[in-house]
Amino acid sequence: MPIPVAILVERALAGLDVLAATAEAVDDEWQYVTDLGTVWRARLGALKEARGAETAPDGAEAALDALVAEAGRIEDPHRAIDWLSTFPQVTLAALGEAS
Amino acid sequence: MRFGDPRPDGRAIVYAQIQADPLVARAAALLADATSTQRLLARATMNGESTDPEAWRTMFPALFGPAAPPPGDPARDRSEAILGVSLQVADRGEQARSQFRGAIVEALAEQLLAARTGPVRRERRILFDGVPSEIHPYDVTVEREAAAEAWDCKWGARGVKADVLHQLDDARRNATAEGARLLVGLVVFDARRSCEVRLVRERGPVALEGLKLVTLEGLDRLAGRKPA
Repeated sequence: MPIPVAILVERALAGLDVLAATAEAVDDEWQYVTDLGTVWRARLGALKEARGAETAPDGAEAALDALVAEAGRIEDPHRAIDWLSTFPQVTLAALGEAS
Repeated sequence: MRFGDPRPDGRAIVYAQIQADPLVARAAALLADATSTQRLLARATMNGESTDPEAWRTMFPALFGPAAPPPGDPARDRSEAILGVSLQVADRGEQARSQFRGAIVEALAEQLLAARTGPVRRERRILFDGVPSEIHPYDVTVEREAAAEAWDCKWGARGVKADVLHQLDDARRNATAEGARLLVGLVVFDARRSCEVRLVRERGPVALEGLKLVTLEGLDRLAGRKPA
């Protein structure tokens, strides 16, 4: 069943929130984690604004489900910081966007 | 300005074994001719928790989905090979995988630079008259007299720290003071957007005007070519 890009972006944003919460445990990187979350949320928000009503590309919904599940497996806060950058890039790639 | 070998220390000896591991060379060779999406697959997989290749194939429909090149196509074969070596790296355990990732970025940068210029060397110091030598060698250097280059390589944006920026900036300033040409830069296997966030946080008083930043999306610039 076709699914709009906006729905998948919402799922990605929720996944990003989970990662950010895990990453915030690294006190020394709190500001970086906050800034990283801010800029990537803005990038995903811009995508939702621009293409939210479009039907997502084939495979994108399964990709996002798998990606969010992977993010949920990250328990180490240091790895979560790395994933705060990786996660939105993979999201954008799945939705046919450049970083 | 001249280049020299660093004094060997324990860390370098241990790290040299990682650098010489065939898995590093294989990953770098695959990534040198990869697309940005294939490189992102490597980054995600080497950072990830899942060891099930199917989960990663699902996350990258552009590489493995119905609209992707079919099995047997060279592009698809490269995607599969990149996934395979990335899972091998991920399987090495937390500390080893971190060292492997760093070594892979260095080897990749070396290969890409060698496609454009040379001679390209690894783990070298840059010496200036009357200036104490730096502790850390540069990951990759281009030791061409008319247009030398010094690159530090990072797996992720988080590796960009103030001391790294200071060392690069000092080298550039010292070269200028000697009337030499030295391009300095960072190669980061991460998104430009994340690197820029990091630079804003870390740069402090360091001038970045002369610092080149090459990120995941634009690695082919090292080879003097447009992104694949």
